[in-house]
Amino acid sequence: MEAADLIQVLTPQQTRRLRVIENLLRGKKTVSTLYWGQRYQLLPLIGLDKSLDRGGLDAAARSLVTGGLATLDEENDQLRLTPTGVIAAQRTYYQPQTADTWIQLDLMAARQRLLLAVQVVSEYTHATRRYYPLATDLATRQAVRAWFQREKSDRLGQQILQALTHALEQLPETVATVTTSLLTGYQHPGLTREQVAQRQQRTAWEVTLMQLDGLMQICQDARVDQTPFTSLLSSLWQSPVTRSAQLTLEAVRQTGDLDQVATQRRIKLSTVREHLLEAAIFLPLVDFPYEQILTPKLCQLFAKNLTGAIDDWQYTSLPADLQARYDFFYFRLYAIWIEKGGVLSDGVNNES
Amino acid sequence: MTALTTSLKQVFGFDHFRTGQEETLRDLDSGQDVLAVLPTGAGKTLIYQLYGYRHSGCVLIVSPLLSLMNDQVDRMHMAGFRRVAAINSLTGRDERQAILRHLGDYQFLFMSPEMLSQPTMLSQLRQLTLSLLVIDEAHCIVQWGPDFRPEYLLLGAIREKLGMPRTLMLTATAGKTTRQEIAHQLRCHPQVVATSVDRPNIFLDVEDVGDGTEKQARLAELVAKLPGPGIVYFSSKQLASDMALWLQSQTGKVVAAYHAGLDNEARFKIQQQYMAGQLDLICATSAFGMGVDKNDVRYVIHYHLPADMESYAQEIGRAGRDGEPSLAVLLYASGDEQLPLMLGQANRPTAVTVHDYYAHPEAFDVADPGVHLLEFYRNHGISEAAVVRLFTRRERERNRALAQMLSYVREPHCLRQNWLQAFDEQGSHHEHCCAPKQVALDLAALNLPETAVATAAEPEIAWRDQLRQLF
Ligand SMILES: [Zn+2]
Ligand SMILES: [Zn+2]
Repeated sequence: MEAADLIQVLTPQQTRRLRVIENLLRGKKTVSTLYWGQRYQLLPLIGLDKSLDRGGLDAAARSLVTGGLATLDEENDQLRLTPTGVIAAQRTYYQPQTADTWIQLDLMAARQRLLLAVQVVSEYTHATRRYYPLATDLATRQAVRAWFQREKSDRLGQQILQALTHALEQLPETVATVTTSLLTGYQHPGLTREQVAQRQQRTAWEVTLMQLDGLMQICQDARVDQTPFTSLLSSLWQSPVTRSAQLTLEAVRQTGDLDQVATQRRIKLSTVREHLLEAAIFLPLVDFPYEQILTPKLCQLFAKNLTGAIDDWQYTSLPADLQARYDFFYFRLYAIWIEKGGVLSDGVNNES
Repeated sequence: MTALTTSLKQVFGFDHFRTGQEETLRDLDSGQDVLAVLPTGAGKTLIYQLYGYRHSGCVLIVSPLLSLMNDQVDRMHMAGFRRVAAINSLTGRDERQAILRHLGDYQFLFMSPEMLSQPTMLSQLRQLTLSLLVIDEAHCIVQWGPDFRPEYLLLGAIREKLGMPRTLMLTATAGKTTRQEIAHQLRCHPQVVATSVDRPNIFLDVEDVGDGTEKQARLAELVAKLPGPGIVYFSSKQLASDMALWLQSQTGKVVAAYHAGLDNEARFKIQQQYMAGQLDLICATSAFGMGVDKNDVRYVIHYHLPADMESYAQEIGRAGRDGEPSLAVLLYASGDEQLPLMLGQANRPTAVTVHDYYAHPEAFDVADPGVHLLEFYRNHGISEAAVVRLFTRRERERNRALAQMLSYVREPHCLRQNWLQAFDEQGSHHEHCCAPKQVALDLAALNLPETAVATAAEPEIAWRDQLRQLF
């Protein structure tokens, strides 16, 4: 991400923490990162740039500040767009269409598998004996090898061509062009993201977003219909909630008692709470048992003490006795509940 | 035992060895350790592949460049060697576990010096029967050792712990000092197999340019005029990237940058594009070149002073592997030598720092590369005095190498003679030989063959057609 990309994930209304955006891209799934990622509506960014260094966005942030497009607090963390920044951000910038579905599968693994599979089949179709395969991790190589052995046939090349064409036809021409030119295959090393960016007069990050849209469409087609890619990708569909958090959630549903769940699952109470927050952040309102944890009485107490914008709520400004009785966990869960449209039994919703 | 040529025919289908291959294999077969100084493209890998084929046990190859290592494994797979694996920092945890579980099954194991220096890895390797230990790019022991790859300095001790296996040291270029140093570090007395570094078809040119602006203008002029694929080497990633864009806009040629800052995918694609003739020029750092299989590179230009004659020989050696006339240009502006000097000093902790560190290691931040290096030495039980000696020696070596480089730049008569002398070889000036800095370069007289150029204005193929071409 360069400054031109960073500006697109900022707003004038809400200060956004640079560290949260960085951690999302790097795939650091702490509860705090997930919570704020949700507040910023940036969860689709999770794990999209695992090679990003710590502090890897600092230069981009500084350049926005120097250009008068954003402000940064003394800790170099809280970013907010200035009025000039709002105007600058209005340039044509690609808005991904499938972003909401990205967290439904391991998109980065899917990307690796699709690119290698396309190369392998392309070379196979042209009966090439020797070529340089794309460098990928062992899991990808094994998955693609096994898939290729299963699917190998004279028609595979044509079937893949059909699947790719069908998927890309559903997207804007530019996205189809970008996705295609990044592919590697027979006598076609493929362009780098920077080269595509230069041709399209866009940033490398926009090119990445376009490619992800293209690849996601291929994945979705393979899920809805039977395509040659269906079996290649089937194991990558996943809930964004981790397996252990799912188990904790299930146990809580059954007992309703967090201490008991901790004992039963042999994990710390704090871990139970983290699991629950993670699940609450990712799941729709109806799929999480808020009523088992947040009693109506507690909700009313919070409602009385927490007014104004959610982002401005402070646990530490709650009355001392409330803090003593209720851990930060309840405060955070209440915020998630309100944000997802949770309504008190008397019908009052206090989000302003 | 089967004759070497019979094995060569069986495994590779060739009738004849290339220069140096057979001699190296014979020496190894007769129980000698060998230091093979063979130019890029001489088929160094064939030597240990054939050795591994003829001897039971495992060939362990230590290689410093990660990208090169994976590339090598892929190539061996393509060539039909199945029991090959690589372990380095790019290897995922699961993959590493899988390899370690079957360690005894492999015929060829590639490993980074970092991995090899881990005690658990060493003890696993000690269970194996090693038929051969190969130190690839052995000059790194000298060139990179104390500054960048301290692990290479442990190779001598590691070799001892592995029970002094038969050892093959490979490098493309090593002058006398470097050869001695490699043998010293690895605690052995190898047989040296070397061919001449001379490449008669490469015309050598040094140009004295007034300052940075003039240098940049001259570069653009050369790139515009020179035919065929070329490489320009820079000493910084940023400059390589910036100049790639600038040269493309100035000359209309298709130019790409290549350096260690690019991700794997980009590096792969740039290399493949270059090999496929889709690029006219690569603006690179020294990260580019090893593992690039391209015969028709017509020219190599150095925009900055290389660190030493060995790097220089290796980098210009990428030109003209097809034997056709080619050109190596070194652009020099007075004061250019300050950059490597400064870099050297910035990398080197002073004796005072070393002393303070050994007294209070906890007070230092290991994120600092210099401190990281000191921590490495200390953790490996190297004393303060030895570390100071190491740095002093290293600095002396560095200054000597730089002085040699400058003597090449200032050479008034014959660049080739000067170059060959650095490798203890003789040479004589001839007609299509060189243009020292007082002599103007006559491009027309070089007869560089024309190669079809990649065109930047190539119309973009519609994506549907492009997909159809793939399948
Ligand atoms: Zn096995
Ligand atoms: Zn000469």
